[in-house]
Amino acid sequence: MLTDRLCGTCAVLTGVSGAGIMLMADDMAYGSLCTSGPTSVLIGQVQYTLGEGPCVDAHRQGRPVLEPDLAGAGSDRWAAFAEPVVAAGVGAVFGFPLRVGAARLGALNLYRDQPGDLSGDQHADALVLADVAAEAILLLHARAPAGPQADELARSADIHLVVHQAAGMVAVQLGINVGHALVRLRAHAFAYDRALRDVAEDVVARRMRFDTSDDQDE
Amino acid sequence: MARETMLARALVELADTLVSDFDVADLLIVLTDRCVDVLDVAAAGIMLAAPAGDLRVMASSSEEMRLLELFELQSQEGPCLDCYNTGEPVVNADLGGDDPRWPQFAQRATAAGFRSVHALPMRLRGAIVGALNLFHVDTGQMRPADVAAAQALADVATIAILQHRAATEAKLLNEQLNEALNTRIVIEQAKGMIAQRQGVDMEAAFTALRDHARTHNRRLADLARDVTEGRQDLATLGQP
Repeated sequence: MLTDRLCGTCAVLTGVSGAGIMLMADDMAYGSLCTSGPTSVLIGQVQYTLGEGPCVDAHRQGRPVLEPDLAGAGSDRWAAFAEPVVAAGVGAVFGFPLRVGAARLGALNLYRDQPGDLSGDQHADALVLADVAAEAILLLHARAPAGPQADELARSADIHLVVHQAAGMVAVQLGINVGHALVRLRAHAFAYDRALRDVAEDVVARRMRFDTSDDQDE
Repeated sequence: MARETMLARALVELADTLVSDFDVADLLIVLTDRCVDVLDVAAAGIMLAAPAGDLRVMASSSEEMRLLELFELQSQEGPCLDCYNTGEPVVNADLGGDDPRWPQFAQRATAAGFRSVHALPMRLRGAIVGALNLFHVDTGQMRPADVAAAQALADVATIAILQHRAATEAKLLNEQLNEALNTRIVIEQAKGMIAQRQGVDMEAAFTALRDHARTHNRRLADLARDVTEGRQDLATLGQP
Protein backbone atom coordinates (compact mmCIF):
# COMPACT_ATOMS: atom_id res chain seq x y z
CA MET A 1 0.00 0.00 0.00
CA LEU A 2 1.42 3.33 -1.05
CA THR A 3 0.89 5.07 2.26
CA ASP A 4 2.68 2.44 4.35
CA ARG A 5 5.89 3.00 2.48
CA LEU A 6 5.42 6.68 1.89
CA CYS A 7 6.81 8.07 5.12
CA GLY A 8 9.77 5.73 5.18
CA THR A 9 10.48 6.75 1.61
CA CYS A 10 10.15 10.43 2.47
CA ALA A 11 12.69 10.09 5.26
CA VAL A 12 15.17 8.14 3.16
CA LEU A 13 14.90 10.33 0.08
CA THR A 14 15.31 13.57 1.96
CA GLY A 15 18.07 12.21 4.18
CA VAL A 16 16.42 13.13 7.47
CA SER A 17 15.91 11.10 10.62
CA GLY A 18 12.19 10.64 10.21
CA ALA A 19 8.99 11.76 8.52
CA GLY A 20 5.28 11.95 9.16
CA ILE A 21 2.27 13.04 7.16
CA MET A 22 -0.38 14.91 9.10
CA LEU A 23 -3.94 15.17 7.85
CA MET A 24 -5.45 18.55 8.60
CA ALA A 25 -8.43 19.43 6.46
CA ASP A 26 -11.99 20.47 7.16
CA ASP A 27 -14.47 17.63 7.05
CA MET A 28 -11.79 15.03 6.63
CA ALA A 29 -10.45 12.84 9.39
CA TYR A 30 -7.55 14.29 11.34
CA GLY A 31 -4.61 12.14 12.29
CA SER A 32 -1.41 10.86 10.82
CA LEU A 33 -1.55 9.28 7.40
CA CYS A 34 1.74 7.56 8.17
CA THR A 35 4.91 7.97 10.19
CA SER A 36 8.36 6.50 9.89
CA GLY A 37 8.73 5.90 13.62
CA PRO A 38 7.73 6.80 17.19
CA THR A 39 9.43 10.20 17.18
CA SER A 40 7.40 11.27 14.17
CA VAL A 41 4.31 9.97 15.93
CA LEU A 42 5.14 12.24 18.86
CA ILE A 43 5.79 15.24 16.62
CA GLY A 44 2.34 14.79 15.07
CA GLN A 45 0.55 14.18 18.36
CA VAL A 46 2.03 17.23 20.07
CA GLN A 47 0.93 19.44 17.19
CA TYR A 48 -2.59 18.07 17.14
CA THR A 49 -2.88 18.48 20.89
CA LEU A 50 -1.35 21.94 21.20
CA GLY A 51 -2.28 23.38 17.83
CA GLU A 52 1.22 24.75 17.36
CA GLY A 53 4.31 23.66 15.52
CA PRO A 54 5.93 23.64 12.08
CA CYS A 55 3.21 21.60 10.37
CA VAL A 56 0.44 23.68 11.88
CA ASP A 57 2.16 26.84 10.64
CA ALA A 58 2.94 25.35 7.22
CA HIS A 59 -0.67 24.27 6.81
CA ARG A 60 -2.01 27.65 7.84
CA GLN A 61 0.42 29.76 5.85
CA GLY A 62 0.58 27.56 2.79
CA ARG A 63 4.37 27.55 2.63
CA PRO A 64 7.28 25.55 4.05
CA VAL A 65 8.22 26.29 7.65
CA LEU A 66 11.84 25.41 8.36
CA GLU A 67 13.41 25.33 11.81
CA PRO A 68 17.01 24.14 11.85
CA ASP A 69 17.48 24.78 15.57
CA LEU A 70 14.53 23.55 17.57
CA ALA A 71 16.23 23.85 20.96
CA GLY A 72 17.26 27.45 20.25
CA ALA A 73 15.15 29.62 17.97
CA GLY A 74 12.54 26.89 17.74
CA SER A 75 11.83 27.13 21.44
CA ASP A 76 11.07 30.82 21.06
CA ARG A 77 8.80 30.10 18.13
CA TRP A 78 6.84 27.26 19.71
CA ALA A 79 7.57 27.04 23.42
CA ALA A 80 5.01 24.35 24.17
CA PHE A 81 5.73 22.24 21.09
CA ALA A 82 9.51 22.42 21.41
CA GLU A 83 9.79 21.14 24.98
CA PRO A 84 8.63 17.54 24.59
CA VAL A 85 10.01 17.24 21.07
CA VAL A 86 13.49 18.42 22.01
CA ALA A 87 13.36 16.05 24.96
CA ALA A 88 12.69 13.24 22.48
CA GLY A 89 16.00 14.02 20.76
CA VAL A 90 14.89 16.18 17.85
CA GLY A 91 17.32 18.89 16.71
CA ALA A 92 15.59 20.31 13.62
CA VAL A 93 12.04 20.21 12.23
CA PHE A 94 10.64 21.10 8.83
CA GLY A 95 6.99 21.36 7.80
CA PHE A 96 5.79 21.33 4.17
CA PRO A 97 2.16 22.10 3.35
CA LEU A 98 0.22 19.53 1.36
CA ARG A 99 -2.07 21.38 -0.97
CA VAL A 100 -3.61 21.20 -4.39
CA GLY A 101 -4.55 24.76 -5.22
CA ALA A 102 -7.08 25.87 -2.66
CA ALA A 103 -7.37 22.38 -1.20
CA ARG A 104 -5.29 22.34 1.97
CA LEU A 105 -4.95 18.75 3.02
CA GLY A 106 -2.30 18.64 5.73
CA ALA A 107 1.46 18.76 6.07
CA LEU A 108 4.58 16.68 5.63
CA ASN A 109 6.83 16.77 8.65
CA LEU A 110 10.55 15.98 8.46
CA TYR A 111 12.83 15.99 11.46
CA ARG A 112 16.50 15.51 12.12
CA ASP A 113 18.27 14.41 15.31
CA GLN A 114 20.96 17.00 14.75
CA PRO A 115 20.27 20.70 14.29
CA GLY A 116 20.97 22.18 10.84
CA ASP A 117 19.32 23.24 7.60
CA LEU A 118 18.04 21.05 4.85
CA SER A 119 20.31 21.18 1.83
CA GLY A 120 18.96 22.66 -1.40
CA ASP A 121 18.51 19.15 -2.82
CA GLN A 122 16.75 17.85 0.29
CA HIS A 123 14.43 20.84 0.22
CA ALA A 124 13.69 20.29 -3.48
CA ASP A 125 13.01 16.59 -2.84
CA ALA A 126 10.69 17.50 0.02
CA LEU A 127 8.64 19.73 -2.31
CA VAL A 128 8.26 16.84 -4.75
CA LEU A 129 7.27 14.45 -1.97
CA ALA A 130 4.76 16.98 -0.65
CA ASP A 131 3.00 16.82 -4.03
CA VAL A 132 3.06 13.02 -3.94
CA ALA A 133 1.70 13.02 -0.39
CA ALA A 134 -1.09 15.44 -1.31
CA GLU A 135 -2.17 13.16 -4.13
CA ALA A 136 -1.94 10.14 -1.83
CA ILE A 137 -4.39 11.83 0.55
CA LEU A 138 -6.85 12.54 -2.25
CA LEU A 139 -6.60 8.95 -3.47
CA LEU A 140 -7.06 7.65 0.05
CA HIS A 141 -10.24 9.65 0.53
CA ALA A 142 -11.47 8.57 -2.91
CA ARG A 143 -10.85 4.96 -1.83
CA ALA A 144 -8.67 4.30 -4.81
CA PRO A 145 -8.29 0.64 -5.64
CA ALA A 146 -4.69 -0.54 -5.75
CA GLY A 147 -3.33 -1.03 -9.22
CA PRO A 148 -2.19 0.71 -12.37
CA GLN A 149 -5.10 3.12 -12.60
CA ALA A 150 -4.30 4.65 -9.21
CA ASP A 151 -0.60 4.75 -10.01
CA GLU A 152 -1.25 6.49 -13.30
CA LEU A 153 -3.49 8.95 -11.55
CA ALA A 154 -0.90 9.68 -8.91
CA ARG A 155 1.60 10.52 -11.60
CA SER A 156 -0.44 12.75 -13.82
CA ALA A 157 -3.47 14.06 -11.97
CA ASP A 158 -2.57 17.68 -11.50
CA ILE A 159 -1.04 18.39 -14.86
CA HIS A 160 -4.41 18.99 -16.45
CA LEU A 161 -5.97 22.31 -15.58
CA VAL A 162 -9.37 21.03 -16.72
CA VAL A 163 -9.42 18.80 -13.62
CA HIS A 164 -9.26 21.89 -11.43
CA GLN A 165 -11.90 23.72 -13.42
CA ALA A 166 -14.15 20.70 -12.97
CA ALA A 167 -13.41 20.61 -9.24
CA GLY A 168 -14.56 24.24 -8.95
CA MET A 169 -17.79 23.41 -10.76
CA VAL A 170 -18.48 20.31 -8.66
CA ALA A 171 -17.73 22.28 -5.48
CA VAL A 172 -20.55 24.69 -6.32
CA GLN A 173 -22.88 21.96 -7.59
CA LEU A 174 -22.60 20.04 -4.32
CA GLY A 175 -21.94 22.92 -1.91
CA ILE A 176 -18.64 21.37 -0.79
CA ASN A 177 -15.09 22.68 -0.71
CA VAL A 178 -12.66 22.21 -3.55
CA GLY A 179 -10.69 19.50 -1.75
CA HIS A 180 -13.81 17.41 -1.40
CA ALA A 181 -14.64 18.04 -5.05
CA LEU A 182 -11.23 16.76 -6.11
CA VAL A 183 -11.91 13.60 -4.11
CA ARG A 184 -15.38 13.18 -5.64
CA LEU A 185 -14.01 13.44 -9.17
CA ARG A 186 -11.44 10.75 -8.43
CA ALA A 187 -14.00 8.51 -6.75
CA HIS A 188 -16.22 8.78 -9.81
CA ALA A 189 -13.31 7.99 -12.12
CA PHE A 190 -12.50 4.84 -10.14
CA ALA A 191 -16.12 3.77 -9.83
CA TYR A 192 -16.76 4.05 -13.55
CA ASP A 193 -13.26 3.03 -14.65
CA ARG A 194 -12.66 6.26 -16.52
CA ALA A 195 -9.66 8.56 -16.81
CA LEU A 196 -9.91 11.51 -14.44
CA ARG A 197 -9.26 13.93 -17.26
CA ASP A 198 -12.17 12.53 -19.30
CA VAL A 199 -14.52 12.90 -16.35
CA ALA A 200 -13.31 16.47 -15.86
CA GLU A 201 -13.83 17.33 -19.53
CA ASP A 202 -17.38 16.01 -19.34
CA VAL A 203 -18.06 18.19 -16.32
CA VAL A 204 -16.59 21.33 -17.91
CA ALA A 205 -18.45 20.68 -21.18
CA ARG A 206 -21.59 20.33 -19.10
CA ARG A 207 -22.21 16.82 -20.36
CA MET A 208 -22.29 15.67 -16.78
CA ARG A 209 -23.28 17.08 -13.39
CA PHE A 210 -22.62 15.82 -9.89
CA ASP A 211 -25.78 17.15 -8.30
CA THR A 212 -28.07 14.90 -10.31
CA SER A 213 -28.25 11.20 -10.92
CA ASP A 214 -25.19 11.38 -13.22
CA ASP A 215 -23.02 10.54 -10.25
CA GLN A 216 -24.37 7.48 -8.52
CA ASP A 217 -21.56 6.36 -6.31
CA GLU A 218 -22.52 8.17 -3.13
CA MET B 1 3.38 52.43 -33.24
CA ALA B 2 6.88 51.20 -34.02
CA ARG B 3 7.65 47.81 -32.59
CA GLU B 4 10.63 49.13 -30.67
CA THR B 5 8.41 51.69 -28.99
CA MET B 6 5.88 49.03 -28.08
CA LEU B 7 8.60 46.86 -26.64
CA ALA B 8 10.08 49.70 -24.63
CA ARG B 9 6.65 50.59 -23.29
CA ALA B 10 5.91 46.99 -22.41
CA LEU B 11 9.19 46.62 -20.55
CA VAL B 12 8.68 49.84 -18.64
CA GLU B 13 5.14 48.84 -17.78
CA LEU B 14 6.33 45.52 -16.49
CA ALA B 15 9.35 46.93 -14.69
CA ASP B 16 7.12 49.45 -12.92
CA THR B 17 5.15 46.68 -11.38
CA LEU B 18 8.26 45.09 -9.91
CA VAL B 19 8.91 48.05 -7.68
CA SER B 20 5.93 47.76 -5.43
CA ASP B 21 3.72 45.05 -4.03
CA PHE B 22 2.42 43.50 -7.20
CA ASP B 23 0.29 40.73 -8.58
CA VAL B 24 2.53 38.05 -10.10
CA ALA B 25 -0.28 35.97 -11.52
CA ASP B 26 -1.84 38.89 -13.35
CA LEU B 27 1.55 40.20 -14.45
CA LEU B 28 2.41 36.98 -16.22
CA ILE B 29 -0.90 36.99 -18.05
CA VAL B 30 -0.34 40.62 -19.06
CA LEU B 31 3.10 39.61 -20.24
CA THR B 32 1.69 36.97 -22.55
CA ASP B 33 -0.72 39.60 -23.90
CA ARG B 34 2.21 41.96 -24.49
CA CYS B 35 4.06 39.23 -26.33
CA VAL B 36 1.17 38.97 -28.73
CA ASP B 37 1.20 42.75 -29.32
CA VAL B 38 4.92 43.36 -29.43
CA LEU B 39 6.06 40.21 -31.21
CA ASP B 40 3.03 39.96 -33.45
CA VAL B 41 2.46 36.32 -32.60
CA ALA B 42 -0.84 34.47 -32.56
CA ALA B 43 -0.49 33.09 -29.04
CA ALA B 44 1.94 33.12 -26.13
CA GLY B 45 2.33 31.09 -22.98
CA ILE B 46 4.61 30.74 -20.00
CA MET B 47 5.62 27.31 -18.71
CA LEU B 48 7.30 26.80 -15.35
CA ALA B 49 9.16 23.87 -13.87
CA ALA B 50 7.36 22.13 -11.02
CA PRO B 51 9.34 20.70 -8.07
CA ALA B 52 9.67 17.34 -9.79
CA GLY B 53 11.13 19.10 -12.85
CA ASP B 54 8.17 18.70 -15.19
CA LEU B 55 6.83 21.75 -17.05
CA ARG B 56 3.43 23.19 -16.17
CA VAL B 57 1.34 26.02 -17.66
CA MET B 58 1.63 29.23 -15.70
CA ALA B 59 0.04 31.82 -17.98
CA SER B 60 -1.49 32.04 -21.42
CA SER B 61 -2.60 34.81 -23.78
CA SER B 62 -5.90 33.02 -24.23
CA GLU B 63 -7.95 30.74 -22.01
CA GLU B 64 -9.09 28.69 -24.98
CA MET B 65 -9.02 25.02 -24.06
CA ARG B 66 -7.12 23.90 -27.17
CA LEU B 67 -4.33 26.34 -26.49
CA LEU B 68 -4.04 25.26 -22.87
CA GLU B 69 -3.85 21.65 -24.02
CA LEU B 70 -1.03 22.55 -26.43
CA PHE B 71 0.92 23.94 -23.52
CA GLU B 72 0.13 20.97 -21.28
CA LEU B 73 1.24 18.55 -23.97
CA GLN B 74 4.70 20.04 -23.82
CA SER B 75 5.37 18.46 -20.46
CA GLN B 76 5.85 15.34 -22.58
CA GLU B 77 7.23 16.64 -25.91
CA GLY B 78 7.62 19.91 -27.74
CA PRO B 79 9.75 23.01 -28.16
CA CYS B 80 9.32 24.15 -24.55
CA LEU B 81 10.58 20.85 -23.23
CA ASP B 82 13.59 20.91 -25.55
CA CYS B 83 14.32 24.51 -24.64
CA TYR B 84 14.03 23.71 -20.93
CA ASN B 85 16.31 20.68 -21.21
CA THR B 86 18.99 22.37 -23.29
CA GLY B 87 18.69 25.95 -22.06
CA GLU B 88 18.78 27.04 -25.70
CA PRO B 89 16.11 28.92 -27.64
CA VAL B 90 14.04 27.05 -30.21
CA VAL B 91 13.26 29.47 -33.03
CA ASN B 92 11.23 29.26 -36.25
CA ALA B 93 10.43 25.63 -35.80
CA ASP B 94 8.13 24.88 -38.74
CA LEU B 95 5.35 22.46 -37.99
CA GLY B 96 4.40 21.50 -41.55
CA GLY B 97 4.84 17.92 -42.61
CA ASP B 98 6.10 15.14 -40.41
CA ASP B 99 8.10 16.47 -37.53
CA PRO B 100 10.19 13.69 -36.00
CA ARG B 101 10.99 15.83 -32.98
CA TRP B 102 7.46 16.30 -31.72
CA PRO B 103 5.00 14.15 -33.64
CA GLN B 104 2.02 14.56 -31.35
CA PHE B 105 2.64 18.21 -30.55
CA ALA B 106 3.14 19.14 -34.22
CA GLN B 107 -0.08 17.42 -35.20
CA ARG B 108 -2.10 19.16 -32.50
CA ALA B 109 -0.52 22.54 -33.12
CA THR B 110 -1.16 22.47 -36.86
CA ALA B 111 -4.73 21.31 -36.20
CA ALA B 112 -5.10 24.42 -34.05
CA GLY B 113 -3.94 26.57 -36.97
CA PHE B 114 -0.34 27.25 -35.99
CA ARG B 115 2.49 26.83 -38.48
CA SER B 116 5.54 27.82 -36.52
CA VAL B 117 6.56 27.79 -32.90
CA HIS B 118 9.31 29.20 -30.69
CA ALA B 119 10.48 28.72 -27.12
CA LEU B 120 12.76 31.04 -25.15
CA PRO B 121 14.42 29.89 -21.93
CA MET B 122 13.59 31.55 -18.63
CA ARG B 123 16.90 31.60 -16.88
CA LEU B 124 18.26 32.89 -13.62
CA ARG B 125 21.95 32.57 -12.89
CA GLY B 126 22.31 29.39 -14.84
CA ALA B 127 19.14 27.72 -13.55
CA ILE B 128 16.40 27.23 -16.13
CA VAL B 129 13.03 27.77 -14.47
CA GLY B 130 10.76 27.49 -17.50
CA ALA B 131 10.12 28.70 -21.02
CA LEU B 132 8.23 31.37 -22.95
CA ASN B 133 6.29 29.73 -25.77
CA LEU B 134 5.19 31.60 -28.89
CA PHE B 135 3.01 30.49 -31.79
CA HIS B 136 2.69 31.92 -35.32
CA VAL B 137 0.19 31.10 -38.00
CA ASP B 138 2.88 31.62 -40.66
CA THR B 139 6.37 30.19 -40.94
CA GLY B 140 9.74 31.91 -40.62
CA GLN B 141 8.51 34.96 -38.74
CA MET B 142 11.14 35.44 -36.07
CA ARG B 143 14.13 37.57 -37.03
CA PRO B 144 17.11 38.07 -34.71
CA ALA B 145 15.66 41.34 -33.40
CA ASP B 146 12.41 39.52 -32.59
CA VAL B 147 14.31 36.80 -30.76
CA ALA B 148 16.12 39.41 -28.69
CA ALA B 149 12.86 41.14 -27.85
CA ALA B 150 11.25 37.83 -26.91
CA GLN B 151 14.18 36.92 -24.68
CA ALA B 152 13.91 40.30 -22.96
CA LEU B 153 10.25 39.60 -22.19
CA ALA B 154 11.11 36.11 -20.96
CA ASP B 155 13.74 37.62 -18.66
CA VAL B 156 11.17 40.02 -17.22
CA ALA B 157 8.86 37.09 -16.52
CA THR B 158 11.63 35.28 -14.66
CA ILE B 159 12.42 38.27 -12.50
CA ALA B 160 8.73 38.83 -11.80
CA ILE B 161 8.29 35.32 -10.49
CA LEU B 162 11.28 35.62 -8.24
CA GLN B 163 9.86 38.87 -6.97
CA HIS B 164 12.77 40.97 -8.04
CA ARG B 165 15.00 39.73 -5.30
CA ALA B 166 18.46 38.41 -5.90
CA ALA B 167 17.22 34.90 -5.34
CA THR B 168 20.53 33.10 -5.41
CA GLU B 169 19.27 30.60 -2.89
CA ALA B 170 17.98 27.51 -4.62
CA LYS B 171 15.44 26.86 -1.87
CA LEU B 172 13.84 30.26 -2.24
CA LEU B 173 13.71 29.85 -6.00
CA ASN B 174 12.02 26.47 -5.74
CA GLU B 175 9.51 27.71 -3.18
CA GLN B 176 8.54 30.65 -5.37
CA LEU B 177 8.12 28.51 -8.49
CA ASN B 178 6.01 26.10 -6.48
CA GLU B 179 3.94 28.97 -5.14
CA ALA B 180 3.37 30.43 -8.60
CA LEU B 181 2.19 27.09 -9.96
CA ASN B 182 -0.10 26.53 -7.00
CA THR B 183 -1.59 29.97 -7.58
CA ARG B 184 -2.37 28.94 -11.14
CA ILE B 185 -4.30 25.94 -9.80
CA VAL B 186 -6.24 28.14 -7.38
CA ILE B 187 -7.18 30.39 -10.31
CA GLU B 188 -8.41 27.38 -12.32
CA GLN B 189 -10.48 26.18 -9.36
CA ALA B 190 -11.92 29.68 -8.95
CA LYS B 191 -12.77 29.80 -12.66
CA GLY B 192 -14.71 26.58 -12.30
CA MET B 193 -16.68 27.89 -9.35
CA ILE B 194 -17.56 31.12 -11.13
CA ALA B 195 -18.45 29.30 -14.35
CA GLN B 196 -20.84 27.04 -12.45
CA ARG B 197 -22.40 29.79 -10.35
CA GLN B 198 -22.89 32.27 -13.20
CA GLY B 199 -23.67 29.70 -15.88
CA VAL B 200 -20.87 30.87 -18.16
CA ASP B 201 -17.90 29.27 -19.88
CA MET B 202 -14.34 29.30 -18.55
CA GLU B 203 -13.22 32.26 -20.63
CA ALA B 204 -16.08 34.40 -19.35
CA ALA B 205 -15.42 33.21 -15.81
CA PHE B 206 -11.79 34.22 -16.11
CA THR B 207 -12.72 37.60 -17.51
CA ALA B 208 -15.08 38.14 -14.59
CA LEU B 209 -12.31 37.24 -12.15
CA ARG B 210 -9.77 39.57 -13.75
CA ASP B 211 -12.25 42.41 -14.15
CA HIS B 212 -13.29 42.17 -10.52
CA ALA B 213 -9.66 42.10 -9.38
CA ARG B 214 -8.87 45.21 -11.40
CA THR B 215 -11.99 47.14 -10.40
CA HIS B 216 -11.44 46.42 -6.72
CA ASN B 217 -7.66 46.79 -6.93
CA ARG B 218 -7.04 43.29 -5.69
CA ARG B 219 -4.42 40.77 -6.59
CA LEU B 220 -5.68 38.03 -8.84
CA ALA B 221 -4.15 35.40 -6.56
CA ASP B 222 -5.83 36.82 -3.45
CA LEU B 223 -9.23 37.13 -5.11
CA ALA B 224 -8.99 33.60 -6.47
CA ARG B 225 -8.21 32.37 -2.97
CA ASP B 226 -11.22 34.21 -1.55
CA VAL B 227 -13.43 32.68 -4.25
CA THR B 228 -12.24 29.15 -3.54
CA GLU B 229 -12.50 29.56 0.20
CA GLY B 230 -16.06 30.87 0.08
CA ARG B 231 -15.36 34.46 1.09
CA GLN B 232 -16.54 36.01 -2.16
CA ASP B 233 -20.06 36.29 -3.49
CA LEU B 234 -19.93 34.53 -6.84
CA ALA B 235 -23.21 35.69 -8.30
CA THR B 236 -22.18 39.34 -8.55
CA LEU B 237 -18.44 38.89 -9.15
CA GLY B 238 -17.27 40.80 -12.19
CA GLN B 239 -20.74 42.09 -12.98
CA PRO B 240 -20.93 45.80 -13.78
